[in-house]
Amino acid sequence: MKFRGAEAIVETIDWQGKTVISKTRNKRGYRHPSLEKKLVVERLRSESRIMERLISHGVSVPAIYSVNPVKNRIIMEFVDGRTLERALRTDAFNSHLKDLASLLSKIHSLGVIHGDPTTSNFLVKDKIYAIDFGLSSISDDPEDRASDLRVFLESLDSHHSEINGREIFLSAYSKGEGSKAVLEALKVLELRGRYNLMRG
Amino acid sequence: MGIESTAHTAGVGIITSEGKILSNQRSVYIPDEGEGIHPREAANHHVEKFPKLFKEAFEESKLSPNDITLVSYARGPGLGPCLRTGATAARAFAYTHQIPILGVNHCVAHLEIGLLEGATDPVLLYLSGANTQVIAYAAGRYRVFGETIDIGIGNGLDKFAREAGMGFPGGPKLEKVAEGDALIDLPYSVKGMDLAFSGLMTAAKQKLDSGHSLASVAYSVQETAFAMSCEVAERALAHTGKTELVLGGGVACNSRLREMATIMTEERGVKCFVPEMGLCVDNGVMIGWLGYQMMSAGYQITEEDNMVNQKYRTDMVEVTWR
Repeated sequence: MKFRGAEAIVETIDWQGKTVISKTRNKRGYRHPSLEKKLVVERLRSESRIMERLISHGVSVPAIYSVNPVKNRIIMEFVDGRTLERALRTDAFNSHLKDLASLLSKIHSLGVIHGDPTTSNFLVKDKIYAIDFGLSSISDDPEDRASDLRVFLESLDSHHSEINGREIFLSAYSKGEGSKAVLEALKVLELRGRYNLMRG
Repeated sequence: MGIESTAHTAGVGIITSEGKILSNQRSVYIPDEGEGIHPREAANHHVEKFPKLFKEAFEESKLSPNDITLVSYARGPGLGPCLRTGATAARAFAYTHQIPILGVNHCVAHLEIGLLEGATDPVLLYLSGANTQVIAYAAGRYRVFGETIDIGIGNGLDKFAREAGMGFPGGPKLEKVAEGDALIDLPYSVKGMDLAFSGLMTAAKQKLDSGHSLASVAYSVQETAFAMSCEVAERALAHTGKTELVLGGGVACNSRLREMATIMTEERGVKCFVPEMGLCVDNGVMIGWLGYQMMSAGYQITEEDNMVNQKYRTDMVEVTWR
């Protein structure tokens, strides 16, 4: 398997006798070299640290085997599942949305903001896994958590307009710790700027 | 025929059903030194210029009003007073000459004109004063995959340029003075497929105040803001699996932005379509072309289509012509 994402080349490789995921951040020729270097190092470090934090609290994210800042590469566990994007196109979308809500709520309660929780960044196998923490950050701010929800809802709306997943997802998320402030912040966020009007 | 008047540009364009552009007349309102767009002043400018623009469009195309089969105008999104002058001009012309009239969405027009360049199912990176969006077609609508969560990129550039003592429009003036190769560290704000520019512009102003040269700050602002824009476009390409990128909006005239988008698409192995400058900026041609696309697909005009809508969102339009 090889996938060229926006951020990195993600491929399955043979590593010490087993199939693993190798994620190598691609060089961006369009970015200024010093901006590129800064972003690559920042994102690599933050991604691996945040994943370690989640793993140590039992959150289902791929295990990290090796981090190489020189090669811009992370070696991690290969989760052989299908993307949430595909899983939502099945009849079981309802329970997937609920599982996702409790996963995201757990991630948030550990002080982590995913940063890009679109439907292609979750894998469904025996349970649901969060992947791609390339844009993740550390924050307890309800507004940052709400921003995560909004990114997800947006991807739900733009890619899965055929199901009305919003209510299912939000009502499941509301059962989590600290969710009240987050949902309040989401309301404010959605009222702000572009979400209800477009400036001319 | 297409009539454009969503913001600072009054435009009258004429295009044939084969996509041949016969005339693209534009007049841009320039605010007083140190000021931004005043909606009423801009509308007054449009009122004054429309008769001349119509006349020149007919002169250039060598057509007469009777040759026009459809008048389209931009219903929105945009500044209320400006939208109303365009709608009024369009109605006056259409009613006088007994021609059907249709109001269309300005943002969708930016995307559709990109299809004239040969794209079939692209991601549009739409960078203008007020609008900063990544748009692509999915399930019957043009969906907004990513967007600014505060100010439009062009407004941000204009505001920074104004504070740096340059006039309107600031973007092209910044491009002229931008020079250097050392990058000043500025906030790089990408959240998923969304962007934010206000922190970047504030930080840029602070760098300027703390003694950095205008050339180097302008250079760094461009490098940072355009890299952010290309990154979200790249994310949308990866997310949707589409293989074409179209640039649109006034900021897409910037040659550094064009260069970055070209490099990004080459690295990804996707095609990049850059409409000529006169079609990237606000113009009447794209409005006329979208109206024609809609009508030729059998679109039925409703009463609502003849009312301007300042908050007419891209994804409110049901795409029936694809």
